[in-house]
Amino acid sequence: MSSWEVFGYDAVKAGARAVVGRLNPVLLHFVENCVGCALCEVNCPYTPAGEEYGPVEKAEPLRKIVRGQVFLSARLLPQLFGAKLPRTAEELDRWAELAYRCTNCGLCYTTCPFGIHSGTMISHLRYFLLMSGRVPTLLKMMMDLEVSGNILSAEAFSRVWSELAEKLKGLGVTFDRKGAKYVYLPSLAEALITPGAIVGTAKILNKLGLDWTMPGKPLSVRAPIAGLVGDSEAVLEVTKRVVDYVAEVGASTVVLSDGGYPYRFFRFDAPALLGKPLGFEVVHIVELLHEALKKGGLNLKETDRKVTWHSPCQLGRMSGFIEEPVEVLSSASKNFVKLESHGLFSKCCGGGNGIACVVPPTLEMFEKLLGTRIPVSEREKAFLDKLYKDILVAGKAKVDEIKKSGAQIVVTACVGCVHTLNMTTKAHGVEVEIKTLPEFIADLLPG
Amino acid sequence: MDILNLAIYTLPPYVVALFALGAAYRVSRYIFLSRRAPVKRRSRPASKLLIGLVKTFLDPLIIGARLRKPEFISGLMMLHILGVIPLIFLLGQHVAMFSYWFPPYSVLQPLSIPSSATSSALTLTAPVRPASEMAWSFVGSVWGPLTIVLNGDLLAILAMLGVAYKLGDKVWRAYKRMIHIRPGDFAALLLLLAILVTGFMATHHLPSGDIVTYRLVLGTHIILAEILVVILPFTKFWHFVFGYWYGKLHEWYDLKYRRGAL
Repeated sequence: MSSWEVFGYDAVKAGARAVVGRLNPVLLHFVENCVGCALCEVNCPYTPAGEEYGPVEKAEPLRKIVRGQVFLSARLLPQLFGAKLPRTAEELDRWAELAYRCTNCGLCYTTCPFGIHSGTMISHLRYFLLMSGRVPTLLKMMMDLEVSGNILSAEAFSRVWSELAEKLKGLGVTFDRKGAKYVYLPSLAEALITPGAIVGTAKILNKLGLDWTMPGKPLSVRAPIAGLVGDSEAVLEVTKRVVDYVAEVGASTVVLSDGGYPYRFFRFDAPALLGKPLGFEVVHIVELLHEALKKGGLNLKETDRKVTWHSPCQLGRMSGFIEEPVEVLSSASKNFVKLESHGLFSKCCGGGNGIACVVPPTLEMFEKLLGTRIPVSEREKAFLDKLYKDILVAGKAKVDEIKKSGAQIVVTACVGCVHTLNMTTKAHGVEVEIKTLPEFIADLLPG
Repeated sequence: MDILNLAIYTLPPYVVALFALGAAYRVSRYIFLSRRAPVKRRSRPASKLLIGLVKTFLDPLIIGARLRKPEFISGLMMLHILGVIPLIFLLGQHVAMFSYWFPPYSVLQPLSIPSSATSSALTLTAPVRPASEMAWSFVGSVWGPLTIVLNGDLLAILAMLGVAYKLGDKVWRAYKRMIHIRPGDFAALLLLLAILVTGFMATHHLPSGDIVTYRLVLGTHIILAEILVVILPFTKFWHFVFGYWYGKLHEWYDLKYRRGAL
């Protein structure tokens, strides 16, 4: 049973202290320099689900926590200076409701006149909530599984991975081969939700003639899944495991096909967390494709099908690959169209930051796969049911864009985006094929 | 010593010193908490990065103009761009006082904005420079006929309307029980409004034309402004000095320079 029913003020206070210990100049700026203009609301995917879900409002609980711990004025006069900790289970639930209406897409960051990234604050708020007993059961299960390192402990997961490994062996893939220059790191989440991305990436890496290998067993559920609740300690543990594995193989480059938070994390955040360079390069498969196409080392068979690109927030806005995927897809389809919001302000699918991974359809998917019921309390169930309604509202703007583009295929590069778009397009009655970039490109590789 | 003499001739050095201490405290926290991350940046052409820098500052303005027009017109244009920014730095009386304490400031004297349309009319029609005990007169403004609209009265009214809009927005959000609304929001806006109103009253010799009242109202205006300067590092007014610049420059560095999101 989840801890959703419990409220302990001591845990709340401990959570507040833990969060404040993470202050750095950037977080301090995010906390203290908001003037409350609320411009961030206009681009947040969750504002259509309720004005109270605008970034300025969602980040306020973290500000209340920090003010009460850090600022003398707020400690002396908490009411006047906006310092507060939740005193009841209902208040804590309300904070959880706000924190799980953020996809950490970064749109508030680029929209804010003061460069405030509310998503970063909300990830710290989620850590506070984790310590206070508010974390979705499924997310907690996945975090624990990832930290344990025994990713294939469940028979169902092991079966899925084995079937995939058989296919890969058929492509001549070698596992855990020491001395390989490239290590491809797919996750369990990809094997479960976008297996085509793994097979497609293997075909592309083979076609590019790279000296590569991959782990015989996944190193993560979707590393670092604990980052979704801001649990730096768990993230560090998983990161070290991945870094050690790559060092053991002796590879100079890690390739990822998941352009969601795993790519952003390993490319930009992990060295900061470790306090030193990783010792290897981190590239996304789109980077290798773009480079090969640019150098003329790869020619694709062009398709006539109308294709568009949904830019995952973590790969585009937060990792800088905005035009590269478009250039790759333009050379793969004669009928490539950009979505209306393409660019730095590309709309979010609505399911990022673990939201799509905890809603009832996902819970049911895992229950079916594992053949067992995942126990969720009534209180948490009510939270998840409302979250599912809101994800469909939050995802509508993207679905409308897709519909308007007239595309037959939406290509993207993030497990979360694929999972979310499958839910939202279906819910809003838009028939379109959702594919990952490696899966789509692999079908167009020359024979 | 009356309140006006206190405000003009005694307090300014103390006000500046307290502001400097507060600002140093705020900035020092950023310095002491800073850590350098060993992250390899994504290579992008310098020209694109430069355009990206300009866009980082412009994008929120464009978004505001497109998607939140009332806030853009009232909050940004009326309150900031046309209101308090030119008023604070260029209103003739302010230029005179700042120049008294900091002589190099008088370099802005030609850009001075007159306090009212009447005084601006003088700049166009007066055949001689008015007699004045001050070291310079307002007649030499470069704004010429523009002072018909570019004058303290009009700009103060726009600024007051802008503050009123912001207050209304805060009241509406507080009514809807949004948790990001704090008493400090109202305190800051009411202080700003009080400064604008007392300044407007002083230039119009309100509520009466006698010298005692005039000195009291003007003295109150300046003292309130000095309070704002002292508390500025600890209020949301800090955005004007630091938050805005640090925030946008950091965003550019993080997203565009480091991650290459152009």
